[in-house]
Amino acid sequence: MIHPVDTILSLVLLSVLFSLGTSHLTGLIRFVAFQGVVVSIVPFFIGHEMTGGGLLFTMVTLWIRGVVIPLSIYLVIKRVAIRREVEPIIGYHASLFAGLVLIVAASVVSYKLNVPLIMKSALLIPTAITILVTGMFLLMARRNAIAMVLGYIMMENGIYLVGTTFSTRAHHIVEFGILLDVLAGVMVMAIILQNIKQKFDVVDTAVLRTLKE
Amino acid sequence: MIEILMLAPFLTGIMAFFLPRSSGRALLVLTGAFHLGLSVLIWIKRPVALFPDYFAVTPEGLLSLLVISLLFFLIAIYSTGYLKAAKIKSEHIFTGSMLIFLATMTMVTMSDHIMVMWIAIEATTLASAPLIYTHRTKASLEATWKYVLICSVGIAMALLGSVLITLAMDIGKVDAPVSFSALTSVAKQLDPTWLKAGFVFIFVGYGTKMGLAPMHTWLPDAHSEAPSPASALLSGVLLNCAYLGIFKTNKIMHAAGLGDFSGTILIVFGLISIIAAATFILKQTEYKRMLAYSSVENMGIIAFGTGIGGIGAFGAIICLIHHSLIKSSLFLTSGNILLGYGSGLIEKTGRLAKLMPKSFVAFFGGFAGISGFPPFGIFIGELFIIVGAFRTGHFFVAGIFILSLCVIFAGFANQVMKISFHDTTAEEIKITEKASMVWPQYALLLTSIVLCFWLPDSLYQTIIDAVATIGGGY
Repeated sequence: MIHPVDTILSLVLLSVLFSLGTSHLTGLIRFVAFQGVVVSIVPFFIGHEMTGGGLLFTMVTLWIRGVVIPLSIYLVIKRVAIRREVEPIIGYHASLFAGLVLIVAASVVSYKLNVPLIMKSALLIPTAITILVTGMFLLMARRNAIAMVLGYIMMENGIYLVGTTFSTRAHHIVEFGILLDVLAGVMVMAIILQNIKQKFDVVDTAVLRTLKE
Repeated sequence: MIEILMLAPFLTGIMAFFLPRSSGRALLVLTGAFHLGLSVLIWIKRPVALFPDYFAVTPEGLLSLLVISLLFFLIAIYSTGYLKAAKIKSEHIFTGSMLIFLATMTMVTMSDHIMVMWIAIEATTLASAPLIYTHRTKASLEATWKYVLICSVGIAMALLGSVLITLAMDIGKVDAPVSFSALTSVAKQLDPTWLKAGFVFIFVGYGTKMGLAPMHTWLPDAHSEAPSPASALLSGVLLNCAYLGIFKTNKIMHAAGLGDFSGTILIVFGLISIIAAATFILKQTEYKRMLAYSSVENMGIIAFGTGIGGIGAFGAIICLIHHSLIKSSLFLTSGNILLGYGSGLIEKTGRLAKLMPKSFVAFFGGFAGISGFPPFGIFIGELFIIVGAFRTGHFFVAGIFILSLCVIFAGFANQVMKISFHDTTAEEIKITEKASMVWPQYALLLTSIVLCFWLPDSLYQTIIDAVATIGGGY
């Protein structure tokens, strides 16, 4: 039987492919926001006990991962990016192909891992691994600084999904601390992005190559 | 009491954002003094934390805490003079970030919960980012960007590693708090495969922040572009904080009987760092970058010693303490040189011994100390590490270790001679050497000398306690 959570997770996998294939920053941001929403509501569907505190925490996570973080980057794009291209180092077709290979590899690996799961979702671990690695891929394969920050956010989303999949023992207060750190990190990066735009007039990291050795 | 130690600098840091220049500087020194006093009190009393799930007073944490406190106090005194001479535009952001940075580093030393440790270390990255961008130049912006991105991505790996360790607990059916001290005592029941995976990710993550090669690329940029008091803090204590994360995880590995696995990783990456530093120091043209690479080298030495274990681990802790003292003094003096000559390039300096005699004494003393000459403590630390390596039969790696240290000494000495004695085009020195800008360095170097001859019993015992799990001690 197909687990209900697998339905939305398959959409996430699709969004991963789209985010690899898109050339526009605004498109990329939408996919990242969608992934943020899904990874925050996954605990609803799996075996976590839903206490009042848990519910509140899920809402806060949803708000921060799905709305605040993507919105803050979106505002940066509106303010700084004239050319809204992600400026790929590795082309879109190659990226898409890499994404497909990645999804297959993630599925194979997660079957081999033999982790005792909290619930019988076939897609949970493959999706977590895929998001994580795609985030890293975007960090390396895009020259645009904003696209790199989005890659970082994707990576964090992936790690959060790994965390909720593997373990139910985390305290909400600790999780909240992690969330706050990620949020603060994205804010700091947003400020740096604006400064890069002011100093260099572009957000292409090719200009950030003067310090060597 | 422990919580006050974290909260006080945080609150004064927020205050400092709104204060005028002179009172901001005074606040920096006062908070430093208060923090040092309280740290000494905690050292003596060893109190229990208010939230024992998350925080605890551990021997290795106490050692780092005392080093942080002492360094911050002396650096704060230096900063009063430096800030007057350097004329930084947004000084309130600098002082505020320094204080919040202190708060986050204190939190690292006190963290016992694995995730809280991660939160604290990531917070140090964010608090120190504004410090690197203090000068508002293109180069400093680039350094800040690299620092925040590389460290955040690196540390995200450590978060993944921490998650994997909780997985190792689930599979091993361990019901204990997710804290380093609890895990060390139940380490044998953890699932070894996932524990190993967790260690690898945590090592890569915190190793990035610690500046181990080949993940060190952000370090020379950040340390050379930051204003000197901030560089001294980054190099002197921030790297120790990241090391603390690796050290504590390594303790779990040893307790679980996987010490060989983690030890080999530490030795290999330690050696790579030392060799990488040696190649870059030889052809360095800027003195602050040279000091930064020397930090990479010393972190390599410390990782190497920890990997050797036994007396080598004892030596690593000695190196850790003395590297903090000596390297921060060197970075502070490099601030004087930068202000005096107005350039970071080695070729623009020269005749330091004649032109800035007081700074020269501090710089040359620091150079002797960092190269491992007696009577400075690094000599003893490195000696212990080499003895440890021979005792455990690591003859080949010990040979590479010694050879690399010789190369680094040669490169370092060459550059220091140029700065100290070569002719210069500089007509005059732009600052006067005020007492507040040389005495902190003297105090740091003196502490290193004193600790070399006389290690107080309580300090000795704390180091022994810290390395007991990894077979430390004589």
